[in-house]
Amino acid sequence: MIYFDPMENHSLISAQNVTKYYGKVTGVKDISFDVGKGEIFGFLGPNGSGKTTTIRLLLDLLRPSDGKIEIFGLNLLDNSHAIRKRCGYLPGNFSAYGNLTGNEFLKFLAGLRNNSVSGDKKLPERLGISSFDMKRKIRQLSHGTLQKLGIIQAFIHSPELLILDEPTIGLDPLMQYEFYDLLKEYQKEGGTVFLSSHNLSEIERICHRVAIIRKGEIVKDESIVNLRKRMKRKLILNLKSPVENINIPGARLLRKDGLTLEFEVDGDISVLIKHLSSLPVADIVLPEPDLHEIFMNYYNGKHEE
Amino acid sequence: MKNKTTYFRFIWRNHRSFAIFSMAFITLLQFLILYLITTFDVPAILSTLLNQFPEKLKIYFSDNFFNTLSLDGAAAFGFNHPLVLTLLAINAINIPVAHITREIESGTLELLLAHPFRRQALLSTLWISGCMILMIIIITALIGSISAAAIYHHVNSALLINLLKIGINLWLLFVLVMSYTLLFAAYKPTGLKASNISSVLTLVFYLLYFLSQLWDTIKFTSYFNIFAYYEPQKLMFGKGNFYLNCSVLTGLIIICYFISRRQFVRRDIP
Repeated sequence: MIYFDPMENHSLISAQNVTKYYGKVTGVKDISFDVGKGEIFGFLGPNGSGKTTTIRLLLDLLRPSDGKIEIFGLNLLDNSHAIRKRCGYLPGNFSAYGNLTGNEFLKFLAGLRNNSVSGDKKLPERLGISSFDMKRKIRQLSHGTLQKLGIIQAFIHSPELLILDEPTIGLDPLMQYEFYDLLKEYQKEGGTVFLSSHNLSEIERICHRVAIIRKGEIVKDESIVNLRKRMKRKLILNLKSPVENINIPGARLLRKDGLTLEFEVDGDISVLIKHLSSLPVADIVLPEPDLHEIFMNYYNGKHEE
Repeated sequence: MKNKTTYFRFIWRNHRSFAIFSMAFITLLQFLILYLITTFDVPAILSTLLNQFPEKLKIYFSDNFFNTLSLDGAAAFGFNHPLVLTLLAINAINIPVAHITREIESGTLELLLAHPFRRQALLSTLWISGCMILMIIIITALIGSISAAAIYHHVNSALLINLLKIGINLWLLFVLVMSYTLLFAAYKPTGLKASNISSVLTLVFYLLYFLSQLWDTIKFTSYFNIFAYYEPQKLMFGKGNFYLNCSVLTGLIIICYFISRRQFVRRDIP
């Protein structure tokens, strides 16, 4: 995991009390968040929670009913064109013009940016799109290849801010890892990413910070490091021989299966290790704290208010 | 500027097949009509036939009908043929619908507008591209008519000027059809709705105009009918009011264009 301290960085995106109504239906309600420069910001939520609405608001495709959005320190409504010049965007369910080839499509988008060149030529190769695929009509491409083309068009002009809506849909696991590497390299070079997903492990793997949105409202906005710190860790002990009335300070027994015991650890880990030395331990397993449970609680609305 | 030319080339690429088909079809039709009129003595054949019709039926064949049977009349008729009007209407309706509402449905407009390409620029480029495509089709049709007239008869300056007036009048009529389609596309959420409304409206205008020629009770509707401001036969014989027609059509085009532009800039995508 890349270390990132948002406090050291200027805010690149700032959304303040943004609300969007579609007639009587609420898209998002009073959401506020900041994304620091150089940050990979995860936007997590179930389907229909308002992720795509938020992204479209950031790109000035939708106009907010209330609230204010600033990107690069500029008011979005007044400087939409200047802001979009510096952004790359991958829409959810990416689609392109079926009658164009991959190369023609990239050239067309470069033309819309007033560029004559279509950018980094190595990117298609890196994502596994052959030059043959780039010369084929887009309608003939598989879903995965189309998604790769979407990623390429978002990255190709080296934007300062990347806005990605469900970027890994349709990618095989190998390509997902390649994509994560690409994101990390981009971030190291100073790029900022706003990434929406409902893939928990993806957010956990690559993001510095996550906002969880549910029914159009942000229910949590916290760094992954802080979330991990607050998580209760698990400890699995395999004993050589049975022990009666085992009692470890700061640990609660969750499950006992023969000589295997599973604990939830809440206290100081050094006290725990000291205590374990007195037990006939055959093996200790300390799994990485998994954020799935915490995410799921927010998803389900079971979190503490 | 480069983004506008890129977008223009993209629009042309998407519509060139049907535009070229329209050009070829309309040009050949103009050619064929003039060829028939000049090769056979059509007025004499039809007069003989009409003399055998009952008197009540004869009244439906006015002087305009016989004017059509001259070379000038036939050239004008070529620009008022239902097939010509239908092909031009399909082009005029399809261009805005394909690039606004259908692209909203497919999600590609969202991608375009996420690029540094202003909504005003997109709409104006689309509108100008449509105007140019319609103009190219009409210019080739004019070339077809003039060529046929030159080959089978003679071309004089009066014929050329009248044909040019008809061409401009026809172009403005279909730019108007395209502009109100753009207006519906800017408001409506789906491509089918926008194209259906526009097609039905154009058809209603056309039928109403046709009926108002036969039925005096609804003659007043012609003031509100766009087809009343396109008069190829009258223009060919120096009777129509070219400047009034152009002014009314241009006024309506400007209104439709600016309302659609205002709405498109304000609306949510999708």
